[in-house]
Amino acid sequence: MKYITIALAKGRLAELSLDIFESIGLNCCEMKEKTRRLIFTDEDNKVKFVLVKAADVPTYVEYGAADIGIVGKDTLLEEARNLYEVLDLGFGTCRMVVAGPEELKDKFDTLNNKRVATKYPRIARDYFHIKKGQTIEVIKLHGSVELAPLVGLSDVIVDIVESGKTLAENGLVVFEEICKISARLIVNRVSMKMEKDRIMDIVEKVKQKI
Amino acid sequence: MSRWKLHTPEGVQDILQEECMVKREIEERIEGVFQSWGYYEVQTPTFEFYDVFAGESGIIKQETMFKFFDHQGRILVLRPDITTPIARMVATKLNDMLPPIRIYYIGNAFRYDEPYQGAKLREFTQAGIEMIGTNTPESDAEAIVITIQALLASGLEDFQIDIGQVEFFKGLMEQTGLDEEQIEKIRVLIDSKNSLAIEELIDSYDIDDKLKATILNLPSLFGGIEIIDRAEKEVVNERARKALENIREVYNILLDYGVEKYISIDLGMVQSLNYYTGIIFKGFTHGLGFPICSGGRYDGLINEFGKNMPAIGVAIGINRLMSALDWKGVGFNLSTVDTLINYKAKGRKKAFQIAHELRNQGLAVEIYPGECSEEDILTYARSKKLGGIITIYDEENIELYNLDTDKKVKTTVSSLLARAKSKTESGE
Repeated sequence: MKYITIALAKGRLAELSLDIFESIGLNCCEMKEKTRRLIFTDEDNKVKFVLVKAADVPTYVEYGAADIGIVGKDTLLEEARNLYEVLDLGFGTCRMVVAGPEELKDKFDTLNNKRVATKYPRIARDYFHIKKGQTIEVIKLHGSVELAPLVGLSDVIVDIVESGKTLAENGLVVFEEICKISARLIVNRVSMKMEKDRIMDIVEKVKQKI
Repeated sequence: MSRWKLHTPEGVQDILQEECMVKREIEERIEGVFQSWGYYEVQTPTFEFYDVFAGESGIIKQETMFKFFDHQGRILVLRPDITTPIARMVATKLNDMLPPIRIYYIGNAFRYDEPYQGAKLREFTQAGIEMIGTNTPESDAEAIVITIQALLASGLEDFQIDIGQVEFFKGLMEQTGLDEEQIEKIRVLIDSKNSLAIEELIDSYDIDDKLKATILNLPSLFGGIEIIDRAEKEVVNERARKALENIREVYNILLDYGVEKYISIDLGMVQSLNYYTGIIFKGFTHGLGFPICSGGRYDGLINEFGKNMPAIGVAIGINRLMSALDWKGVGFNLSTVDTLINYKAKGRKKAFQIAHELRNQGLAVEIYPGECSEEDILTYARSKKLGGIITIYDEENIELYNLDTDKKVKTTVSSLLARAKSKTESGE
């Protein structure tokens, strides 16, 4: 029998995902050991787990290198890959927002040249260009996005917010919410067809647990 | 040396000898199937006016076309597909032919995907058929069966053809009374089987509860023919019901062809609604995350070029098919060079004569260009995995060296040619 490969985003999302997979009877104990390996096998169920960077999960699944993936909705929106998004797992919840300094809050819509710092250029462009009909200049960053408005690199940021604590500590406030984010279970378009029974079995079982 | 001199641009590739032989072999096998079903090949230009591809039902986004200009400032594009140029050609040049018009093509198409995504080629080979002028379930089934036969001929064994019908979705949407933009939102979600978001979205619209349940059910309406039974029980309007009837008819014809084991149904397959007007289908196989072929009925396309003619067609992605066959380890018996001829000064003329004679007998023969030491010849022959070396010393004396058995035999020209002749005749 062919292995079903499941791609997990390294970090907390992977840990939460493992709990779910364990609860539906897959053997993930190999992954719980402290190790640098990136691929783990459950021989009894013919399932492989691979650990990849969050932003790469949709790529692995789109190409069929993994049949199933678990990844945040933020990554899915940013990567815009061609795949099936089957379940909302309900964990890893947060919000995608536009945030900036308090004093800009009422003036931002009328600001002429809007500079937006973000790790999510596509989400930022889609939101401002398509939804709001505003032109923006996107400044792509890889982390500590909250810093950008403080040092004058940008006017606002587009980023994910969980508790809002980091924003508050850096003197930023939420202007608008773009969308809600949570972990999603995604499936490759071909695998869904070629391995329908096994994949839908996993999907249905996971669904019971959320 | 300038910076890019040694490189090829992203998305194009060289195809080296063996891979090229495999590619040609696959193409020939597929062409053989097309021809055996009565299809004739056509060729259209590699580049065309942008306007050809910019129509209402255009399936290819403007951003993905390679564009350039001619001297009059008109926009040209490298063809992003071959079906659209064929539609132009048929509408303008073949419109008085008696239907069905059966056409096949094989050629390269070009698309620019942004951002560039690794394995997706920007130049790729498509082989396909178009059956124009008829709109019957029998024509739909023929396109599907030819696709199956072509894939089988290429050496692929386990694959699946998914059949959908865009009219089913269009019928359901007609019933909801939603506008185009709202329908497009639902379509995108159904196409990605995102049940949760579909539920959220249609809850925000004022739609009959039973119809809501049917729409919500769409992403899971894939599997065997029993899917049609399931869908028929739903409350659907005339248009959607006809679509289901159409799939069932096509399926029954496929049963007569005896190919049902390759067929499955997916009513949630809902892409390119402006382009497709009926049956759509895609082919899948293990080891490849993308479809290997894609086809469907496009009754509106040729009308864009001024003639109202129904049509169905399919395009098989040769590069993807090659990846799938490679992944499955399907082997090909490729032609090889049988013999290397090398000669000493006095034997040159004879060497050319012998080579000519052997080639006429159907063998592939290489002549080593110029005199060379025995050792070098041997190294070269081994590196190319040749079967044997013939060394011609003069008008009559030659030596045969069989590299498989490592045996050398001295012999004469006349006996060599006689032997080769009897070998070819006995079909060895």
